[in-house]
Amino acid sequence: MSAIIETSGLTKVFGANGNAVHALRGIDMVVEKGEFVALIGPSGSGKSTLMAILGCLDSPTAGRYALDGQAVESLSGGALARIRNEKVGFVFQSYNLLPKASILRNVELPLLYAGVSRKERRRRAMEMLEKVGIPEKANVLPAQLSGGQKQRVAIARALANRPALLLADEPTGALDSKTGAEVLGLFKELHRQGNAVMLVTHDPHIAAMAERKVELCDGLILGPEAAAA
Amino acid sequence: MAATGAFRERLFSAWVEIRENLGRSTLQALGVMLGVASVLGGFSISDSQRRRSDELFAKIGGFDKLNVQPSEAIKDGTQPSALQNANLGLRSDDASRGEKLDMKAVQGVSVQKFARARVRSPFADQDRQITGVAADYLAVNGYTLDKGRLFSSQDVETAAPVCVLGYEAVSVFFPTGEALNQVIRVGDIPVTVVGVLKEKVFRFRDSQGNMFAWRNKLVALPATLVAGRMEGDAYHRLDRVVFKIPDINVIEKFSESLSAVLKSSHRQQEDFRIDDIAKRVRKRRSQGDVYNLVFMLSGILSLVGGGMVNVNIQLATLKERVREVGVKMAIGASGREVFKEFMTEALLLTGLGGFVGFFIGVAFSKVITTVLEVPLYMDPKSFVWAFLLALVFGFLFAIYPAWKASRLSPMEALRYE
Repeated sequence: MSAIIETSGLTKVFGANGNAVHALRGIDMVVEKGEFVALIGPSGSGKSTLMAILGCLDSPTAGRYALDGQAVESLSGGALARIRNEKVGFVFQSYNLLPKASILRNVELPLLYAGVSRKERRRRAMEMLEKVGIPEKANVLPAQLSGGQKQRVAIARALANRPALLLADEPTGALDSKTGAEVLGLFKELHRQGNAVMLVTHDPHIAAMAERKVELCDGLILGPEAAAA
Repeated sequence: MAATGAFRERLFSAWVEIRENLGRSTLQALGVMLGVASVLGGFSISDSQRRRSDELFAKIGGFDKLNVQPSEAIKDGTQPSALQNANLGLRSDDASRGEKLDMKAVQGVSVQKFARARVRSPFADQDRQITGVAADYLAVNGYTLDKGRLFSSQDVETAAPVCVLGYEAVSVFFPTGEALNQVIRVGDIPVTVVGVLKEKVFRFRDSQGNMFAWRNKLVALPATLVAGRMEGDAYHRLDRVVFKIPDINVIEKFSESLSAVLKSSHRQQEDFRIDDIAKRVRKRRSQGDVYNLVFMLSGILSLVGGGMVNVNIQLATLKERVREVGVKMAIGASGREVFKEFMTEALLLTGLGGFVGFFIGVAFSKVITTVLEVPLYMDPKSFVWAFLLALVFGFLFAIYPAWKASRLSPMEALRYE
């Protein structure tokens, strides 16, 4: 298997000079295609910063990062937007659905940005909604859905462009344990279908479901990172 | 991109955004509405006024006339020289010289000789202004015949004792209306009424009186009759010669050559005055342009004011929408795409505001012109102007907030609370 994520010496510094904060101090990590990785660590350990860089939302201060074999650390804003659109699917703790757009339009949006035709967008968005089990909600607004349903929509949206990497930042953090388990089940299912999943969590039970745990502390990867669960 | 319907999607989202925030959107569009209304209203009020006065001038037979009147050759109160005394003033020869000057440009020549005399009919006896006319006087001044005939050239040549009466003169001297072929006495001369004219009416506003009332008082005799028999002037001097020249652009040139010709036949004395009405019209036209400029300026000012309010509101709402922008960027919207979305929204708002502004402007013009009692006239050009201005300013003021939104860092935008 080839690597979906390959970083070396990734650092991120916020601020400058006197009050610089070193969020990441040199991350070397490799995630293979189709892997299910849990990223754990205490608050302030740099998890979110690492996720942002891995998801091309932010650029590292130094170091190298290849996503799906392509070096991205020095790409322009527009090129990064394209990569976010085509290669990465994001799932957030707070769902981040667009409140004024219908579920279907929410799921269609990444396809729209990718330049997919209207008919094809509709077809693929419906396919994704079926995949996450709520095709009947296509024409309602996000406010009419429960938390679990919203997160399903967010997952459908993340999957719409068939990304190589699915990044989830505490996807069950706002859900009760039952719906949380359902959503996690969905991630496992996606993993089984061959998607690379990287999931940030506080919850050791959730981390235990992953193939591999990566623990961050003070901007560094702790211990033997390959320690399987 | 067009094939994917991206523009349509943007337009739809923009519409949703506007609809969901109707209050705010209305406020944002207010400047555009007022700007468009002000440009449109201003333009159409000044256009309506202008068209009305153009109508007036056209009815008087205004633009296309060049008046020549006799005037004193000496201006400083000294005694006239022998040369000046030897001149005979304005005569019919001058009229025909002028006409020959440019037969193509001159459509008609009207000749006038004024006098006052007692006019008596079986029904009335009044002191009246008498107009001695020749050539095309009646046609050039826009009179139309009601009954009978106009003067023939033979009438003028032979100083025939005939007359043509205006509408009011008929009603005074022949209240029964039976004026044709009756005889009236003008001074000592019995003349036969050969023609009766239609009433001339023009009101600048509907409630105002007929501005042409005086024209209906016309008692017209052949100029030769007035000059020769009434005044005993063997030289048949005239009080006014009017050249009708339909092509307004050649009047100025014609006026110059006419002046030269008349001067040479008047022993190099300027004992005449040429009055170019078209010059006045051109001046009035340019005054109208000044009003239009003022209205356009006030429109631009409200567009600028409204635009700044718009930028403010847009920037304030951008704070609420930072997260939305972050989400869109996270799922692949480029800065360019975000810019386009914001621009679409702003331009749609401008378009809608402009549309509403059209109605406000039309209503506004309607009210003002009704108050002024001038028929409303709206030049399609004013719509184009108003819309272009709105669009330009809408575009200019949309750029900054849209640019700001497009420059957000996706990470920070997502974290924004």
